[in-house]
Amino acid sequence: MEYNLHRTVNLLNVSKIALGQLLIALLFVSTSSAGTANISKTKFATSHGAALNKLLAQIKVTGKITDQTTGESLIGVSVKVKGTANGTVTDINGNFTLNVPDDGTLVVSFIGYTTAEVPIQGKTTLNIKLQSANKGLNEVVVVGYGVQKKITVTGSVTAVKGEELVKSPAVNLSNSIAGRMPGVIATNASGEPGYDGSTISVRGINTLGSNAPLIVIDGVPAPAGQTNIDRINPADVESISVLKDASAAIYGARAANGVILVTTKHGKLGKPDLSYTYNHGWAQPTVIPKMANSTEYATMVDEIDLYNLPSQYWSQAWTAFKTTGSFTRPDNGATTTATFSPTDFQKFADHSDPWGHPNTDWFKATLKDWSPQTRQNVQLSGGSENIKYLTSIGYENQDAYYKNSATGYKQYDLRLNVDAKVNKYVNTSIGVSGRQENRFFPAGESAGDIFRMLTRGYPYRPAYWPNGLPGPDIENGQQPVLITTNATGYDRDTRYVVQTNGKIVIDIPNVPGLKVTGNVAIDKYIKEEKTWQTPWYVYSWDNVTKDANGVPVLTKVARGPAQAHLFQSDEDQLSTMLEGIISYDHSFGGHNVTFLAGVQKEKSNQSYFDASRKYYASTAIDQLSWGGNTEIGNSGSAWERARLNYFGRVGYNYKEKYLAEFLWRADGSYMFPTTHRFGFFPGISAGWRISEESFFKDNIKFFQNLKLRGSWGQMGNDQVNRPNSDQLAEYAYLPLYNTNTYIINGAPTQTLTEGTAPNPSFTWETANNSDAALEGTILNGKLDFVLEAFYNVRTNILWAPTASVPATGIPGPLLPPKNYGKVTNKGVEFQFNWHDKIGEVRYNVGINGSYIKNRINVWDEPPGFPSYQTSIGHPIGSQLYYVYDGIFSTQAEVDAFNTAHPGAYSGVGESTIRVGDMKFKDIGNDNGQKVPDGKIDGYDQVRMDAGHTPTFQGGLNFGVQYKGFDLSVLLQGATGAKITLQTESGTIGNFLQWSYDHRWTVDNQSTKDPRTVDRNNQYFSGGYYDSTGKLIGGNTYWLLNMNYIRLKNIELGYTIPPSITSKVGISNLRLYANGLNVFTLAKQNIYDPESTSSDGHYYPQARVINLGASVKF
Amino acid sequence: MKTFLRNISTIVIVSGVLLASCKKDFLSTKPLNQASAEATWSDPNLSTAFVTELYNGLSTGLLDQMNNDCLTDNALYNFGKQDIMEGNVSPDHLSGLQDRYEWNAMYARIRSANISLENLAKAPLDSALVNRLEGEAYFMRAYFYNQLLRFYGGVPLVKSSYSATATDFTIARSSYEDCVNFILSDLDQAAALLSNKTMDKGRATTDAALALKARVLTYAASDLHDPAKLSTISTVSGFAHPELLGYTTSDHDGRWTKAQAAAKAVIDLGKYGYMLNLSAPVSATDGFTNYQNSYLSRNGGEAEIIFARYYSNAKDEWGAWYGRNNCTNGYHGWTSSEPTQNLVDDYEALDGTGAAHDFSWNNPVDAATPYANRDPRFYASILYDGAPWKPRTPDGAGIDPYNEIQMGTYQTGSASAPVAYFGLDTRNGPLENWNGTRTGYAIRKFMDPNPAIVDQNTRSEVPSPQIRFTEVVFNYIEACLELGDEATAKTWLNKIRFRSGMPAVTETGPALVQRYRRERNKEMLFEEQRFFDARRWMIAPTTLGNKVRIMKITGTLKAGKTVPIYRYNTDNYSYTYTTQEIDPGVENRAWADKVYFPPISRDEMNKNNKLVQNPGY
Repeated sequence: MEYNLHRTVNLLNVSKIALGQLLIALLFVSTSSAGTANISKTKFATSHGAALNKLLAQIKVTGKITDQTTGESLIGVSVKVKGTANGTVTDINGNFTLNVPDDGTLVVSFIGYTTAEVPIQGKTTLNIKLQSANKGLNEVVVVGYGVQKKITVTGSVTAVKGEELVKSPAVNLSNSIAGRMPGVIATNASGEPGYDGSTISVRGINTLGSNAPLIVIDGVPAPAGQTNIDRINPADVESISVLKDASAAIYGARAANGVILVTTKHGKLGKPDLSYTYNHGWAQPTVIPKMANSTEYATMVDEIDLYNLPSQYWSQAWTAFKTTGSFTRPDNGATTTATFSPTDFQKFADHSDPWGHPNTDWFKATLKDWSPQTRQNVQLSGGSENIKYLTSIGYENQDAYYKNSATGYKQYDLRLNVDAKVNKYVNTSIGVSGRQENRFFPAGESAGDIFRMLTRGYPYRPAYWPNGLPGPDIENGQQPVLITTNATGYDRDTRYVVQTNGKIVIDIPNVPGLKVTGNVAIDKYIKEEKTWQTPWYVYSWDNVTKDANGVPVLTKVARGPAQAHLFQSDEDQLSTMLEGIISYDHSFGGHNVTFLAGVQKEKSNQSYFDASRKYYASTAIDQLSWGGNTEIGNSGSAWERARLNYFGRVGYNYKEKYLAEFLWRADGSYMFPTTHRFGFFPGISAGWRISEESFFKDNIKFFQNLKLRGSWGQMGNDQVNRPNSDQLAEYAYLPLYNTNTYIINGAPTQTLTEGTAPNPSFTWETANNSDAALEGTILNGKLDFVLEAFYNVRTNILWAPTASVPATGIPGPLLPPKNYGKVTNKGVEFQFNWHDKIGEVRYNVGINGSYIKNRINVWDEPPGFPSYQTSIGHPIGSQLYYVYDGIFSTQAEVDAFNTAHPGAYSGVGESTIRVGDMKFKDIGNDNGQKVPDGKIDGYDQVRMDAGHTPTFQGGLNFGVQYKGFDLSVLLQGATGAKITLQTESGTIGNFLQWSYDHRWTVDNQSTKDPRTVDRNNQYFSGGYYDSTGKLIGGNTYWLLNMNYIRLKNIELGYTIPPSITSKVGISNLRLYANGLNVFTLAKQNIYDPESTSSDGHYYPQARVINLGASVKF
Repeated sequence: MKTFLRNISTIVIVSGVLLASCKKDFLSTKPLNQASAEATWSDPNLSTAFVTELYNGLSTGLLDQMNNDCLTDNALYNFGKQDIMEGNVSPDHLSGLQDRYEWNAMYARIRSANISLENLAKAPLDSALVNRLEGEAYFMRAYFYNQLLRFYGGVPLVKSSYSATATDFTIARSSYEDCVNFILSDLDQAAALLSNKTMDKGRATTDAALALKARVLTYAASDLHDPAKLSTISTVSGFAHPELLGYTTSDHDGRWTKAQAAAKAVIDLGKYGYMLNLSAPVSATDGFTNYQNSYLSRNGGEAEIIFARYYSNAKDEWGAWYGRNNCTNGYHGWTSSEPTQNLVDDYEALDGTGAAHDFSWNNPVDAATPYANRDPRFYASILYDGAPWKPRTPDGAGIDPYNEIQMGTYQTGSASAPVAYFGLDTRNGPLENWNGTRTGYAIRKFMDPNPAIVDQNTRSEVPSPQIRFTEVVFNYIEACLELGDEATAKTWLNKIRFRSGMPAVTETGPALVQRYRRERNKEMLFEEQRFFDARRWMIAPTTLGNKVRIMKITGTLKAGKTVPIYRYNTDNYSYTYTTQEIDPGVENRAWADKVYFPPISRDEMNKNNKLVQNPGY
């Protein structure tokens, strides 16, 4: 649905009025019915004394209802006094409270369970176990603003339980997601402690800008410091639900990219449970790029020298290089000396000169074999009828791959969830969680810098001299074995996150099912960083000087910055959320109706400052005030953000057979101009449980459940970034200026620069998501399945028209967002879970997957693009490539080509083709027609669908339990992602061994691979990405297929028989071993297949092997 | 009734709560980190700040890692061939394009200048301030347009800022003549508005406007923009829009007269110029010092600056890393912009009498000692084999305790059992040799010689002159020559030469023009002149199109000599100097007429269908 901007305002008013009236109506109902009840009570009191006595004989009964076989708490179970209308339903923990006559009988009924009748017999506490008519039908799932029985859910909601997630040894929770939920795509692009999270997207890429889903933790949307699930203690997670379709519409405003709902654990009725978990793991990179050795590298560098010569001499010059090390041109007498002489090669081969001709494996010299990580957790939980609690204390410590690593991550976390029943009508819960995240890094060098230097490191130069002293840097002091340690100083990044949420639920007296809920959340986030960089020392040898014993004399050289430098920063955020919800559930004659409406306000404030000093008199004191008084630096900034939302749900089902739900949300965001601030987002869904129809039930016995469901909804997205930036395009409707400086009179003087050319009129980007699914349970509950398809159309996409507005108009970075893009994204998902037992062996097998592909329908395209180069019709992220078409492999071929097509490659930067050059397909002519014109230029590029995001991702899990043993295995895979290989190799640094193995040489004139190039100095060397992320001059030869399948997760556990452990007071003791990314099969093995880096300048993904124990008292 | 009242009160309360939560301004958060346009243009300090930002459009000034002279016969860039030098640029492949000429960057700044002028016109500020700021904005707009004009030819003249809600952003290129006139008009406005204003160091002035006007008029009068000469370029001859590239009518004398007058006006100010009042050459030593002072803008050399971009240690900017980016690998530098042998050969040689002759490899004295007795500006501009330079870092100090540049392959040990030794500043040296020079030279000009500035990790504060008085003098000389006034031309040419210790010129006629051109190139080396001069004089095919030549030096121990640590010394060594063409795989220079006017990017062409591409693409 598309609606114009002015209608948005009207819709807002309508929705406001509707909500107001609904709230008023519900309150009106509550007060008036309360009045009626009072009046009737009075009547009882005056005219029916016997009845009054009977009432007075009532007792208050509390109870808990659980599944007989699983012990699971059952929620929403109807509990009624037999023969009366007096009744209630169980709460989220399966508890109920009811006033009943002390001699009455309770009728406990729940769909999928055998109805039970329980006589009271004066008991005030009852624990009732229901016999499952069919397990699986009573599972519940967390949805937006509530919990629903899985069988009645009409939206696309997928979930994973916390107990599954803790089977992964990953320190970062987001790394435990991949392969577990269909349509939830997780890609882990880095393993660096502190920054090792996976990028999670729900149903792939739906829009041109941010595709990040909304994170909701215990009902609080995106708490401060929490734009992902990375740092949540896995042990605290009860479940994670993902709303993939219109079921997210109740979070309208920010739900366009899906919603991830994290529910943390709460206390349960019973005695205090104390548990302790200890994990000790060892991590290593999954893949280390294999680099060339000294001989291979030297060969390639000599080839670079060779190819600088005119190509007619290559053959004889190569022979000369190999024999004498130099070549003199017969035409002009110029001599070229190869960088590496035959003597050098001899020494590389016989290892006779460890000082001058080492063979260094920089990765091996810098990285440990295994790096330890630890995770510990203590939980205490329990509760009585009126108060339940769960406390959890966690500690994580993760070391980096580097030897003597300066890099590491530590986390201390605490969670306290208390639920209290204040009185008959009032329930509250309070959640407090706090954590400290300590990230440690070497000063001034990012993981990107470090791995850049590891891939560049020359194999013929020493990491350490034979005497153990560190060798020279690669440049600017960057010596990997030093800059990974604290030799350069330190960088300490400390973050404090405190999240609190309070909830009060008031049951309106005498109106069963009517509730008023108030939520409040206050979140605090503080980030402090201190970077202290000091000069460090390498040892250099001039290749000549030796002492009396013939041992080379090394010189100690200070490298890095000339001056110690201290930088400190502080960022502070406070976010508050206030929410009021009114809800009403009512059942009559098989009709079940649910109403919910609410209003929510969110506000965040941030402030930041930093300061720096140089010229320290002594590096012994690393405090700001001890720095010198020149070149003092400081800066600061702040922001505030606000949202105001109204939302609601109307649910209806008839005998849980016909299901329907309407969700809506009216959202206001500060991101938009005043007149376009609000958007209205509706979602509808419906389901039909065919299996409940008698024609089906009576005929098809092996189906326990079969449901057809569908949904359509609109959701909004206001997370729009500035062009080619990850900064939010805030206030893009105002002409605002940013501050900068310029040197006037010898000193930096303030300047102002335009921030955005304002667009006074833009509003919500809209997701129009449709979904259809068939889900069912067959074979006596042994097989569950979900088959699902979705069709998402994102309209009004906010995008800055950088590709169509010329630079003479408005510079790209200043262009404001406009509502005009359109992207469709469709896909299919499947999930099958089988569980059964063979004798005493219980096992389960599950498989899930999703195939997703998006396509740009409308966006900003340069008007002059030839039709075959337009990105419309292609997925987001497609790029233009020249099409690799083999190699000019022989001189004869080159000569013939140059004669026939002189200057054919001039348009891509080469006047004359030489042997070993790459051929490109001739595709278009200068008029933009797809007609070859005998020359290679920009018109010969074609659009290729080659993005970093896989089109298929899936998982296969397998679990077995036998007596005390349990095994669970998760295989996960993805296909469809591609990256462009672009290393920084040549005279500047080492080559991949892959490059050595795949190259044209004078001696081996390949028809497949090009000759060695220095960095990217040839037209075919792969191009580069410009500042807007566009690939310039790339070709298809360098595209790497990133398909893979990997043993993502495996866990083997053994629970020591309680008969033994109980003797020492332990109710449960389990020992286990598990692993992450244990084994991988990939199409390419240069980088980890989840890598999104072209050049290997990143901290590789981790393989983790872990041992653990959990004890329960 | 009671129930009714209660319900009414409930409605009132609930409505109240609802209204409270809908407080209209709840969503109206304020940008806390940005200034509004409204506030800016009513505040004198903020208005000034907006206009001051225009100067950041100067980017690194001249002090880029890749000096613009790497796109000329003066220098070679160390990190990748520049395809423009091989004639291989296209709209899809814009090689060697620097941000000071880059279309997008310049138009972004022009937009800011337009915004400044639009807002200043209605700003409720003190009129003296408004005039000053308008003057600066006009000057900078003219500056940016001239950058585009001298690179691309006529460009679209955007005179006011577009709104983001505009529906048509297409605009055609204006003719070369219209662009010149527009720039001159802006400069006249700037000169008038800034007159009698005291301007802080770094800002535009009336004098800068006058000097830039002299540059614009000199270029406009040049051969390249004269229709008769322009049409001789192969790519231009059939071009349908020659008006984009030059004038449509010839007026040689008229244009040169204007150029001459503009330059003369600046000279007549009498406020600028360093050591330009000499009547005889200074000593070679003083010549060296004078030249160094003039490019470092110190010890009196400040008087050379008419308009400059300054650096300060208080701000970390790329141009301040010029030393690290361009000193040799033997100092842990990157030797990014390397002078060529082509340039070095152009420095005259002096004999004992002080007379100068053109250096020649055919002259046995010259060939044997190529680095002796050269134009003092050579020594101040170029680091060559044996040149004294700063103290080495500790890892180099043991190898070269003498702090002299080592560009050759030498021997150490004894002459009877020599050991090959590769100079510290070469591509075979022991320190970061992949950053070593390919030509055998490194740049010294604009490097701060202060030994306390350890270039590898210390920034320098040498300013980047954008308009130097000497350029204005050269423009004056050129106009005089074009108009036949050789006497005046020679007088000024000699003043420039005397300052650097060079004798008076002797040539007349065309030879004098040649002498002038060579003089201008050496004096203005690395000041972004050559790229344009070679084009506007239309000598590019025989200069920029030449292959790069490089120097190979070997030092062989003389019989009986023993040298443990190498040092340049003709008593110990016999040196051979071999010049050769650089290997074509490094950069195979060839001239193509189309690169007289570089292409407009395909991207921009695709966005603006009114644009006409330059000829030859």
